[in-house]
Amino acid sequence: MPGADKEADLTERIEAFLADLKRGGCGTGPIRGSGETARETTALLRKVTAQARWSSAGDLMEIIRKEGRRMTAAQPSETTVGNMVLRVLKIIREEYARSRGSSEETDQQESLHKLQHFVHLKANVIEAINELLTELDGTTDNIAMQALEHIHSNEVIMTVGRSRTVEAFLKDAARKRKFHVIVAECAPFCQGHEMATNLSKASIETTVIADAAIFAVMSRVNKVIIGTQTVLANGGLRAVNGTHTVALAARHHSTPLIVCAPMFKLSPQFPNEEDTFHKFVSPHEVLPFTEGEILSKVNVHCPVFDYVPPELITLFISNIGGNAPSYIYRLMSELYHPEDHDL
Amino acid sequence: PHPSTGGGGIAPLTEQEEEEQPLQAVLVADSFNRRFFPISKDQPRALLPLGNVAMIDYTLEFLTSTGVQETFVFCCWMSNKIKDHLLKSKWCRPTSPNVVHIITSDLYRSLGDVLRDVDAKNLVRNDFILVYGDVVSNIDVSQALQEHRHRRKVDKNISVMTMVFKESSPGHKSRCEEDDVIVAMDSKSKRVLHYQKTQGLKKLQFPMNIFQHGSDEFEIRHDLLDCHISICSPQVAELFTDNFDYQTRNDFVRGILVNEEILGNQIHLYVTQDGYGARVSNLQMYDSVSSDMVRRWVYPLTPEANFTDQQGQGCTHSRHNVYRGAEVSLGHGSQMEENVLIGRDTSIGANCHISNSVIGNNCTIGDNVVLDRAHMWNNVHISSNVEIHQSVVCDGAVVKEAVHLNKQCVLAYNVVIGPNLSLPDGTVVSMHHPEEEEEDDDDEFLSDDQEVGHSKDKTRQKAFNPAEVGPEGKGYIWKASMNDTEDEELAQCLWGLVLNPDPESDSESEASEESQDRSRSVSPEIDDVNAFQLEVLGTLQRGLEENIVCDNLVLEINSLKYAYNITLKEVMQILTRVVLEYPFQQQGTQLTTLQYTGSLLPLLKTWSPVFKNYIKRAQDHLDCLSAVEELFLEQDTHQTAMVKVLMKMYQLEILEEEAILKWFSTGATNDKSRQLRKNQGKQRMSLQRKESEEDESSEEGE
Repeated sequence: MPGADKEADLTERIEAFLADLKRGGCGTGPIRGSGETARETTALLRKVTAQARWSSAGDLMEIIRKEGRRMTAAQPSETTVGNMVLRVLKIIREEYARSRGSSEETDQQESLHKLQHFVHLKANVIEAINELLTELDGTTDNIAMQALEHIHSNEVIMTVGRSRTVEAFLKDAARKRKFHVIVAECAPFCQGHEMATNLSKASIETTVIADAAIFAVMSRVNKVIIGTQTVLANGGLRAVNGTHTVALAARHHSTPLIVCAPMFKLSPQFPNEEDTFHKFVSPHEVLPFTEGEILSKVNVHCPVFDYVPPELITLFISNIGGNAPSYIYRLMSELYHPEDHDL
Repeated sequence: PHPSTGGGGIAPLTEQEEEEQPLQAVLVADSFNRRFFPISKDQPRALLPLGNVAMIDYTLEFLTSTGVQETFVFCCWMSNKIKDHLLKSKWCRPTSPNVVHIITSDLYRSLGDVLRDVDAKNLVRNDFILVYGDVVSNIDVSQALQEHRHRRKVDKNISVMTMVFKESSPGHKSRCEEDDVIVAMDSKSKRVLHYQKTQGLKKLQFPMNIFQHGSDEFEIRHDLLDCHISICSPQVAELFTDNFDYQTRNDFVRGILVNEEILGNQIHLYVTQDGYGARVSNLQMYDSVSSDMVRRWVYPLTPEANFTDQQGQGCTHSRHNVYRGAEVSLGHGSQMEENVLIGRDTSIGANCHISNSVIGNNCTIGDNVVLDRAHMWNNVHISSNVEIHQSVVCDGAVVKEAVHLNKQCVLAYNVVIGPNLSLPDGTVVSMHHPEEEEEDDDDEFLSDDQEVGHSKDKTRQKAFNPAEVGPEGKGYIWKASMNDTEDEELAQCLWGLVLNPDPESDSESEASEESQDRSRSVSPEIDDVNAFQLEVLGTLQRGLEENIVCDNLVLEINSLKYAYNITLKEVMQILTRVVLEYPFQQQGTQLTTLQYTGSLLPLLKTWSPVFKNYIKRAQDHLDCLSAVEELFLEQDTHQTAMVKVLMKMYQLEILEEEAILKWFSTGATNDKSRQLRKNQGKQRMSLQRKESEEDESSEEGE
C-alpha cells in the first residue's frame, strides 16, 4: 500500500527531526544555523501538507498545529521552528481565503472546515510554501546586500560571538570598503574565535577581545553589529550571552547598535518569565568536569541566552529592509495570524 | 534509503561508510552483582529510576544518539519487567531509528555468558558498542568509532577493543572506588599496555616488559573514569567463546594483555574530555550521577527534555535547577532551594525545605519536612516533621510523623517507618527478611516474580520489630549502622558496599579477588610455570610411552602454553629443562655421567622435531643455550656431559653453530658459569676445530 508507506515515511521523518531537535545544541549552540532549521521545518511541513490525509483547510491546520506543538516542545529555545509553523498556518488561511474569493475575515471560522476546492487548495498551499522556502534561501543574501549602506570606510565595527548573518554582512561590505572589526570572544563557548578566523580569511582587519574588555574598547567603536537568536514581539532580543553587555556599553557611549535578523527570527513570544525562555547547557564549558573535587562543592550554571531590551537597539536589518524596534509589532502582525499565536 | 536528517551526534557518513552495515550495540541489562540489594530484589537495576526515568532509557538514548541502528538488549534477572518496559517505550515504536531486540535467558551469569551467546547466535557482523544497562552518558563516540575502524583497517584486525574513558581527576565525586583504574598506555598509538584496578592498593607494580618495546612515549594515568562503554570488534565475542573462563570485561582485558604476544590482539583507549559518561555501579554512584544529571552535566539528557517522549513526563526548568512536573503543588512557605526535581502530581505541604533532591511522581509530602540529597521514587508518602538526608526511598514507601533518616539510609519497596523514630546512618530496611535471603542465596538470579511473591508470604509470618522500624512500621532492618565513621565511609565511596546484606561473604570475595589480582599482576609466572613444567613432563612421558607423533606433542604443549599464560621464551626454557632432566626423573639422580648421556642422547633425537618447532630465531637459540647452561650449573657433577649434549643438538640441527659460538663468546654472567665455560673451553676448541673441518666424525668429540 503506497499510502500507508508514505505515511510511515512521513512519521519517520518527523520523528527523526524531533529527535534531532532534542539533541540539538551540545553546548556550543545549535550545530545547524537557525536558517537551516527554518528551511528544514518548512520542507517538513510541505511534506506534511502533501502527504498527510486531510479534506479541508481546517483539517490541515489542525494537523500542522499538532505537529508544530510537538516540534516546538522538542526544543523550546529554537523559536524558528514555531515561527515557521505559524507562517505555514498563515499561508493556509490566505490560500483558503483566496480560493474562496472572499475577503479575509468574513465568517472564515465556520467555513474553514468545509470541503471546497480541495485539489486547488493543496496545490496552492504547496506553491506558497515553496515561495516561502525561496524567501528563506535568500534571506542572508538580502541582508548582506544592505551592508554598504551601513558600513563606511575606516569604521570600527564591534560584534559579539558568531552569527552567520553578520559574517555574510561584514564580508559583503569588505568587498568594497576597508574597515576594522573587533570581535568579543563570547565566553564560555568562544564562538567569537571562529568568527574572527572566518573574517580574517576574508582579509578583514580583525581583533579578538575578551568579554571583559567590551566596555573599555567601546569608546573607539563606530557601530555595533550583532546577530540574534530570536527577535521578540516587543522588539527585544534573545541573543547569545554577552550581548546585553555589549548593548549597555553601546548605549553608554551612544554607539548605534544594529541587529541583523532575518524575518524568520521574529517570534510572537514576549520576554516574560516563561521557563522556556532560558536554556541552560552542560556546565562543562564554565568549569571542566576534569576539575575534580571542587565540583561537589559548587553549583555551576551555564546559561546560553541574554535578554536585550528594545530600548537599547537602534535598528533592525531584516531581509526586507531596516526597521526600528518599535515597528516590530507591525511586522509581526503581517507575518502571523493573531489567532495562531498560541499553537 | 531515507536521507540522513541526523545532524546531532551523528557524524556525517561518507558514502563508503554508508554502504557498511548498520552500527550495532550490545546492551547488558543486568549487572550480575548484588550492589543494589535489596532494592534490586523487587526491580532490576536497569529499571531503577534516575531523575524519574529508568536507567536503561538513558543508555538507549545514548546509543541512539550515537547512531546505533540495532541494539540487542540482554536481560536475565526479572527479564519480563525489562521487556514490558521496553515494549511500552519509544524504542519499540515502528519509527524508532534504533531497532531494539530483546533477548532473555535465565542462564546468563556474567558478561562472558552474554557475549558467548552473542557469538553462538552470530548476532554481530561488525564493530559493535558494548554497554551496561545502567550507563548514563552523552559522549559522542563517533570519533572513537572512527579511530577504532581506522586502526582495524591499518593493522588487520589487531585491535579488538577500544575502551572509552573520561578524564576526571582523582577526588571527583563521580569516580567510583570500585572502578578506580590505573592504565599504562602508549601515548602515540593509544594502546593499553597495562590495566589494573587500584582497589585501594597503596603500591602498584608494573611489569617492566611493557615499557621495553613499542614507542618511546608512555603514559601512566590515574585520572580516568571508566565509562563502561567499549567499542568491540566481532572477535571479542569469539574470544569470549574461546576462553570460557572470562567472566567480566576485566578478565577479558587482562587476558588480552597477558596474551598479547601470543594472540597478537591489542586493546586501545579513547580518552574524552567532553561529554559525560558514568556507570551507576552502586548507590554512591547513583547519588552522584543523579546529582550530575540534575545539574545538567548530561545535557541534552536533562529532565525537562523528556527524551523518552512519554506523555505527562515533561517538566519545566527554572532558576537554580528546579524542575517541576505537571500538577505539582507546593504548600505555603515551602522552599525548593536548588537542584530539585519533582515529578508530576506530587504535592508538598507547608514550610518544607527541599534541596538537592529528586522526588518521583504521585508523592505526598507533609508539612515541615526537610529533604536534603534525598532520592524519593514514585508513590512515596512522607508525613509531617520528617527529616531525610542523603537517602533513597523506594516506590510505595511510607514515612510516618517525626521520622529522622540519617545519611545513607535505604527504604526499599513498600516499607513503612515510624512514627517518632530516628534511623541511624546506613540503615537498610526492606520488606524481605534478610534470613530469607540467605536461604535462597544461591538461586537468587533464578528466582522470578512468583518466587518473590511466595517469599513475601513467608515474611508475613515473621513479626516486625517495632523498636527498629517504629510502632506502625513494616519492614526488616538489613544491617545496622556501620562501625566506621561517616567521613571515612564517604571518602572511600563505599555506600555500595554498605548495601550488601552479608558483609562477610562480600569482603571475602573482595579479598580473594584482590589476592588473585595480586598474584596475577605481580608475578603471574611462578605457579603457572611450575604447573606448566609438570604438564610438559607428563606430556613427554606419555608421548614416549604411547609413541605419539612429535607434531601432536607440539600441539599439546601449545595448548598448555595458552592455558597457563606462558610466553614463548619460557616454553622453550622449560622444554629444554624438562628434556635434560628427563633421565634424572626416570632413573633417579644417582646416574653417572655416562649413563646420563647414554639415556639422554636418544631422547634428544626422538624429540628433535619438538625442539625445532620452538627454536627458530637466533634469540631462541641463545635462550635455549642459556637454559642448558642453567641446568648444568645446577647439576655440576654432570658438567662434562654438556658438551655432548650440545654436540648432539648441533648434529640434530636443533642448534646452529653460530649460536653456540656466540653463546660461548658472550661474557659469562657469574663466576660459576665462567668456571663452567672454562671447563668446556678445551672441548670447545676441539668442537670449533671439528666444525671447521666440516664435522668429519662425531666420535672424535668423545
